[in-house]
Amino acid sequence: MSQTSPAGSSQIDFSQAALEHLDALYGFAMVLTRDRGEAEDLVQETYLRAFRAFGRLAPDSNLKGWLFAIMRNIRLNQLRHDQSGPQFVEIDAEEPDRMQVLAQAATEPHATLVQKVEREQIRTAIERLPAHYREVVLLRDIEGFSYQQIAAILQRPAGTVMSRLGRAREQLRALLAHWYTGPATH
Amino acid sequence: MTMKECQHIQLLTSIYLDDELQNGERDAFETHLSTCAACRALVDQERAWLGAVRSARPLYQAPAELRARIEKNLAESSGVWTAPAELRRKLNQMLPQAAFPWQSRWPVRLPALALVLVVLIGVSWWWEKTHSLVSGFPKPSEFALMAVETHIRRLNGKLPLEFESNSPVAISDWFAGKVTFSLKLPNYQESSGQNKLYSLEGARLVALRNDYAAYVAYRMQKRPITLVVTTSAIAAPEGGEPVVSKGVTFHCDAVNGYKVITWSDRGLTYALVSDLEERGQQSCIVCHAGTKDRDFIEGLRPR
Repeated sequence: MSQTSPAGSSQIDFSQAALEHLDALYGFAMVLTRDRGEAEDLVQETYLRAFRAFGRLAPDSNLKGWLFAIMRNIRLNQLRHDQSGPQFVEIDAEEPDRMQVLAQAATEPHATLVQKVEREQIRTAIERLPAHYREVVLLRDIEGFSYQQIAAILQRPAGTVMSRLGRAREQLRALLAHWYTGPATH
Repeated sequence: MTMKECQHIQLLTSIYLDDELQNGERDAFETHLSTCAACRALVDQERAWLGAVRSARPLYQAPAELRARIEKNLAESSGVWTAPAELRRKLNQMLPQAAFPWQSRWPVRLPALALVLVVLIGVSWWWEKTHSLVSGFPKPSEFALMAVETHIRRLNGKLPLEFESNSPVAISDWFAGKVTFSLKLPNYQESSGQNKLYSLEGARLVALRNDYAAYVAYRMQKRPITLVVTTSAIAAPEGGEPVVSKGVTFHCDAVNGYKVITWSDRGLTYALVSDLEERGQQSCIVCHAGTKDRDFIEGLRPR
């Protein structure tokens, strides 16, 4: 995709290239908002801002990651203006009891669990994760971004991304283990 | 094989499976796996687990209507001489079918045929857009429909305000630099000392044709009123019943039970949406509460 061509064709290039990521962006918008109407607004707003800023994007940039970063920034700004809405919470201070439960659940035999778990149930479990875990699982395991790319989107160090992803996966495993083997509190 | 080595491998398993280990680390990891059945089994389990999680992709699929809307907006913004998205869609559907039977016999005529087709479809599209009659009047403009949709989204709690204030001055200041035009909300009510007929709730930006329009939320006796403002270059008032008052043509319409009035004045185009009576002309009070404006509002009342 050429991003250095004259304005007109550059914008057409943008339309063609950016629309390839519509489903992915909509998925991220759903993860961020959990509301179809808000997600659609967020996607539209993302394309609008990206379209206007496309000329400033370096030719070798990752378009998909750039679109995701724009979307997340828009959402964070919306939340700052809407204090009654859901808030992003830093997760470094997890409740100790809960972490212990999760650690126990994470020791369930994986192979048995994987055989039982169906796609739809995994999707539902991801949707039930807290927002900060949901987004990191989506970015890595659904959209396939690298740690560095996720760090750029979340504006966090790569080390934070790794630890957050680890906790998110533990909680996801715990959620699924809870469904299939009963509460993991024994 | 030491227990310490195996613990180290376990810590790195997710990173290995995410393909994030550096070359040296990766080689060491794989060397260990080749000699340790327990760690190999653990990695296989973890790989299967991640594979199951990743099999859930895609989590969501964008609604077709959203895709069409974004394609349309992007196409309209790609340049002055770009054909409308709807026109291009129709051409895409029709041209291949028309081209193949004709191409071998009259190759020279194909461009002419395409040109005629473009003109016919263009005229048809323009005619449909501007002349479809609803209740004897042209159908509401895209801007009017957008304003009503915005109003409904606000009512449904889907459109949070970005800036909450009951001060016209504060809201006017908030818009400064965010929209490409200067919007000064009148503060007649505050300065007149009379009983308040309406209250101002706040504002936000709303997307319109790859630009931003100003959205202002009011309430009159618990009934919400929406004001959307953009430049006349982006949206022109059209459709609905034209009513001239004080030299300005107001386009009045009802969409989904809501009254919408659109008009242009000094380079800006406005849309006012409410569920008020008649043409909803009482909603004009949000900017025209003075005695001298009564005639103007009366001018919008149905005869």
